[in-house]
Amino acid sequence: MKTRPVAEQEIEILEHNGCTAEDWEKVLVTDGFDAGRIHDVQFAGTVEIGRVDGPAIDLGDGAMRPCGMSAAKLQNVRVGDGCSISGVRGWLANLDVGNNVVIENVGTISCAGETSFGNGHEISVFNEGGGRELKITDRTSAQIAYLTVMYRDNKPLAAKLAGLADACAKSRRSTRASIGDGARVLNCNEIRNVRIGPCATIQGALSLREGTIDSSKEAPAVVGSGVIAEDFIIQKGASVKDGAMVSASLVGEGTRIGKQFSCENSAFFANCEGFHSEACSWFAGPYSVTHHRSSLLIAASTSFYNAGSGTNQSNHMYKLGPLHQGTMERGCKTGSFSYLLWPSRVGAFTAIMGKHYANFDTSDFPFSYINEEDGKSTLTPGMNFFTVGTMRDGDKWPARDRRKGAEKLDQIVFDVLSPYTAQKMIRGVALLQELGDKADKSETFVNCRGIQIKRLLLKTCRRYYGLALDKYFGDVLMNRFDALKPAKFRDLFKVDPAGETGEGEWVDIAGLMCRKSRASALVGKIVDGRIRSQDELLAAIKDIHDSYRADEWNWCLAMYAKVYGREPGQLSGEELKTFLEQWKQSSQKLLNMVAGDAQKEFEGATRTGFGIDGNGDADFEAVRGTFEGNKFVKKLKEDGEKINQRFEAVVPRLA
Amino acid sequence: MASTFERIKKVTAELLKIDAGKITEKSGFVEDLGAESVQSIELVAAFEEEFDIEMDEDAALSVKNVGDAVRFIDSVLKQKK
Repeated sequence: MKTRPVAEQEIEILEHNGCTAEDWEKVLVTDGFDAGRIHDVQFAGTVEIGRVDGPAIDLGDGAMRPCGMSAAKLQNVRVGDGCSISGVRGWLANLDVGNNVVIENVGTISCAGETSFGNGHEISVFNEGGGRELKITDRTSAQIAYLTVMYRDNKPLAAKLAGLADACAKSRRSTRASIGDGARVLNCNEIRNVRIGPCATIQGALSLREGTIDSSKEAPAVVGSGVIAEDFIIQKGASVKDGAMVSASLVGEGTRIGKQFSCENSAFFANCEGFHSEACSWFAGPYSVTHHRSSLLIAASTSFYNAGSGTNQSNHMYKLGPLHQGTMERGCKTGSFSYLLWPSRVGAFTAIMGKHYANFDTSDFPFSYINEEDGKSTLTPGMNFFTVGTMRDGDKWPARDRRKGAEKLDQIVFDVLSPYTAQKMIRGVALLQELGDKADKSETFVNCRGIQIKRLLLKTCRRYYGLALDKYFGDVLMNRFDALKPAKFRDLFKVDPAGETGEGEWVDIAGLMCRKSRASALVGKIVDGRIRSQDELLAAIKDIHDSYRADEWNWCLAMYAKVYGREPGQLSGEELKTFLEQWKQSSQKLLNMVAGDAQKEFEGATRTGFGIDGNGDADFEAVRGTFEGNKFVKKLKEDGEKINQRFEAVVPRLA
Repeated sequence: MASTFERIKKVTAELLKIDAGKITEKSGFVEDLGAESVQSIELVAAFEEEFDIEMDEDAALSVKNVGDAVRFIDSVLKQKK
């Protein structure tokens, strides 16, 4: 912005309009400055003002805001073109205001000394007693946080990651706060040491201190009424509203916090939701959601998680300070008033009901139910694979991605069935077999890693996993076939050169499932200093994400032989057909079982209370609809037909 | 040897912790005998062990009452022979 000292004639107009200045020589303006649009403004220090001859700004509330300034106090402020500033009860101080910004009815917006605006602030996530500190920045992704928090045994890695965060924080250091182009700051109290990104809306906030509100035109951030936040990072497209209290926390892209939710030392990554309840040291991976009062999420690590009302965890019973922590792998749900005493580790896509005081590890049993039975924690492996909830969740997450910016910080693989969950099921099958072999028929329960499994169910649950594995391996084959459309099906059975090969282990890095070897290679690069910034780290993580399909294919090729005893390339046409028939049957069986689960919502006790003065069935159907007419049920039927069609399409190419 | 019905009754009573005398062929596993979802699959597993058979999961879970279970298990036993 090219400025000049305000002219004598302009000073006269300004003074006539009730303006004062500590030193008019330090009031600098641009061409297009219209002194007639500045009223009752007090200038102190150096103040630069852009064009104020622009049109009024429409905020969509019926009142047009004229471009200009009135009733404000500015000290060491630079104001861009086309802004509307009015009703500053305190001061705008040490502040750069972008173009087309509206500031109205606010207290003090200032920068007090040098700050990095929340960047580099250390939070005690996952373990409130410390030891897993995360330095949050506006570039912190779920994966960067995971590597920082979970791999603490690798001290050189922890040091390098802390260094990358420090470098990012250093690059953000300034003695001046900023408000980006097109931002709106309305009806707020104190905003101190906060960097506000372009197109952000800050409306009615009570107190914001030491933070960054990252924002863009495509993905504007919103901070709403009654919010109190300190030592925070709010990333693009996020919203924090309605009396939320945010302390030492990161609010990730597309995340929504509100309705008096309070959090401290927590990190919420992409598309999380936090309403009403409380979080402490929660590592909320992508799509972690809590909506209800009386829920306390503490010292937990989750992703794709849904907390029922009154969900509680605790990390007490310690003697030397809070150490205990708990992991719920992706896709878990906790039922109403469920309780988990940490430490425990819960396998992926598990539904937890009841109160659990045992410390268990069910990580090799994904898709399970954990129940409380006569005070004991019991596990039903594989049962959650056949429920409506799991299938609906798998469909809904990608459709609910609220991140609108061109760049997405968190890298997410949404698949429910994946090499990660498949490898767990393969281990689960072996464990169930081993338990079954050792169990005596007189036993009702067998103990496995701190949890009880009904002996009777060992065989059944093994079959469940077998069915899920048939479906998964078949899905991967069929999807590959659909994508590549080879003349002959067996032409598929080639290693994808873009992927890593072999049976290696998979990990789930806060939403990004990948081969462990890729994660290890990345760790090596960080430790070696080949990754020199958080931006380079984000790019390297995206490369891993982009290799998922090729890696998945190669892993399935390698694992097929292990699971089914034959190299897929060696199968005859007839054997291939048999396998795909098995896939078809397993897929149909899954759909039937899910439909059976859905049907429960239309029968028996579900109808209790309908038809308050009689005519219960008609009332139920008027409100709930019919099983046959249900949208989800119809989709299940369509899916079943598609499976048959896909199978029939592939048969002629099996020779 | 006890009939299929008697054996089903015994297994069901033990598993659901109810009085066997109250179980009839018309008893619905969920509505009358109070089987919850996990108990339904436990019942299937218990019948498999009792009769030394393997049942198709979705077909077995679609069985709603004791009489249907008798007929279903008899048909599986017949196929086994």
